[in-house]
Amino acid sequence: MKKFRLRFSRSQLCLPYAVFLALFVIAPLLVIVYYAFTNGQGKFTFNNFTNFFSNTNTIGTLLYSFFLSVTTTLICLVIAYPTAYILARSGFKKQYVLLMLFIMPMWINFTLRITALKEVLSLLEGNISRYPFLNSVIGMTYDFLPFMILPLYTSFLKLDKNLLEAASDLGANKFTVFLQVTLPLSVPGIVSGITMVLLPSMTNYVVLDMLYNKTFIMGSLIGSYFSAYDWHNGSMISLVLLVIIFIVTLVTNRFSDKDDNSGRTVL
Amino acid sequence: MKKLLRLFCTLSAAGAVALATLPLTACAKNSNELVLRVSNWEEYIDLGDWDDDEVIDLGFEDGETIDIIGVNSMVDDFTEWFNSTHDYSIRVEYSTFGTNEDLYNRLNLGDTYDLVCPSDYMIMQLMREGRLKEFSPEFRDETIETNYYINNVSTFISDAFESFGGQNYAAGYMWGTTGVVYNPEKVDVEDVKTWNILRNPKYARQVTVKDNVRDSYFPALGILNAEKLLSGDGEPYELLNDTDDDTIEAALQILKEIKENVYSFETDSGKADMITGKVVANYQWSGDAVFIMDEAESDDDNPVELWYSVPDECTNLWFDGWVMLKDGIGNDARKQEAAEAFVNFLSMPENAIRNMYYIGYTSAIAGETVYEYLKWNYGVDDGVPYDVSNFFGEGFKPLTVDADTLDEEDGVINRGRQLFAQYPPKNITERSTIMCDFQDRLAAINQMWINVRCLDVNDFNPAVVWSVIAILIAGATAIVLYKFRYRIFYRRSTEETNEVNS
Repeated sequence: MKKFRLRFSRSQLCLPYAVFLALFVIAPLLVIVYYAFTNGQGKFTFNNFTNFFSNTNTIGTLLYSFFLSVTTTLICLVIAYPTAYILARSGFKKQYVLLMLFIMPMWINFTLRITALKEVLSLLEGNISRYPFLNSVIGMTYDFLPFMILPLYTSFLKLDKNLLEAASDLGANKFTVFLQVTLPLSVPGIVSGITMVLLPSMTNYVVLDMLYNKTFIMGSLIGSYFSAYDWHNGSMISLVLLVIIFIVTLVTNRFSDKDDNSGRTVL
Repeated sequence: MKKLLRLFCTLSAAGAVALATLPLTACAKNSNELVLRVSNWEEYIDLGDWDDDEVIDLGFEDGETIDIIGVNSMVDDFTEWFNSTHDYSIRVEYSTFGTNEDLYNRLNLGDTYDLVCPSDYMIMQLMREGRLKEFSPEFRDETIETNYYINNVSTFISDAFESFGGQNYAAGYMWGTTGVVYNPEKVDVEDVKTWNILRNPKYARQVTVKDNVRDSYFPALGILNAEKLLSGDGEPYELLNDTDDDTIEAALQILKEIKENVYSFETDSGKADMITGKVVANYQWSGDAVFIMDEAESDDDNPVELWYSVPDECTNLWFDGWVMLKDGIGNDARKQEAAEAFVNFLSMPENAIRNMYYIGYTSAIAGETVYEYLKWNYGVDDGVPYDVSNFFGEGFKPLTVDADTLDEEDGVINRGRQLFAQYPPKNITERSTIMCDFQDRLAAINQMWINVRCLDVNDFNPAVVWSVIAILIAGATAIVLYKFRYRIFYRRSTEETNEVNS
């Protein structure tokens, strides 16, 4: 009796994944594109596009959410950079406990955390609706901080200590070592941290809703079009956002590659 | 093609949900039972499981008594009742929705229901689109004793249904008004007499308003037309259903002011914020107002007495009603019978009382038993008369209720507590107005609402804009200077070295 054996080539093994991609990534994207460029009667139109860019309110929202997410990202970066540096440099045992302290909040349900934050902020500010922008930034920072710390932490862990020692041996003071060696080598971490915080915080409107920020950001704008069964304008805004995200990713990737290379030239 | 796209949309958006419901539908097809698919608002029906001491014991004048208590859920009780009185059996597939738009979207994405309970304007919209199935003539036959709905429904409600031509398509379930819940210790009575409280700077960031376009547009029109409404100049129905471009533009300006003034646009959080005292007044539906007042006064640590006010200008008469969908019922006579039986079962006075007690809203069902329930709930031996004949009909005597729960001024009552919110007196119902669906103006009004919520570029604070631009330019210059620092600052020295080398 011959032994029956199933053999798959690599491309055959890829098939389920390809089907999954086609069904859940490409097809929905095509649906978005279809809706973005059609009107209620299913006819091709550019109206949704011009609607978005001719309305001062939607442009204002785009700028507002960009401003909000950039502020959030910068604050996250300022907090996360030294934190991750200290975490990565601290003694072996302490390190994991400290890291856990930062990661553990992520295990608790997000709405619960924001509700708790709301109560804390009410206690501190008295009336939280007086400081909508500040509260949104605090909420977003609270929510996204771990996403900034983790990539930075990994990039600091990967950092070769010999390089630092070599730089010191060659006469660089601590500040120069940081500026010339540590900082350039941590740029990939910074970039992936920024991507992980900047883009979601442009659309994460649940935080704003829960903290009573009455102004829309991109996410709430899309949501409100969808709940008014206007799939076309909603899809167009999703598409605009998608393009913006694509451009940002393109730029940051380029930036990170370049600096990665220059980092290597340190050797 | 469009259908296919919708299919993809549903698949990708709710793949997990679709997968989870697949076995359910398969199961339903196999059994012989008739399945009645009912969709209702969340927490809008008695789910049973009452404590023993919650029993409602009503005694009538002729000595008869009945005890009402919710042991099982209303849906289970209906299934049992129906299956024991009919020669075929049914099973109710009960689901809930969060907003009318949510329900409408689900219907458009291919979900089928037999019986749903949307609000007034959604009923009108579905009716206009020809998606509703008429109730059978038997259902509307007043001579049949088991037609609990038609025999018990308040004429006030059936008149309201007739006013938009929906009497054959919809059966009323709950109804109410809109008004302002307020804390009398912190808010002047004069201020809650008008919708203007929403943009009154005296209560800046201390009032809430609803987070949906209809419930915001209505008070905005109330503010806009305040003079005309108060002087009786012009038909309130026309004024409050005005959707001209100019009116929408004016409402936008008012809503922007309201947005700057209120604490939040809320869907549900306003109740808690009102009870905990974070806000001093909030725009509410009368049913939720009852809930808030109940909760606030029974709070153990800090009981507060809150009141409900209906502003002098106008109030929105709203109702939710049961409608049958053509998509679901089709021409299945037995299904239609079951759906109509469901409405009749909910309209049995005892069941209407159970639902009212459980959810705090006001049932569309009138009649002696409900009147007795009111007496049981609010009646006192020594008090002031409170007329409810506008809802129950001429034959019903005024209730005797606690004078401290009503704020009477010049013989009219515009503010009060639970009873006032649940059963508004005649002067309130007379100035209440139905708000119709926006029809072809819907897109314009939705866009107005989005514009209210967005930050207009024209409204940007110039100081902020300029400082942001300045920071950006400074940052960019710093980076450029740093990048090209050798070329800019050390050019001469490099040239010199070159010269030396050559």
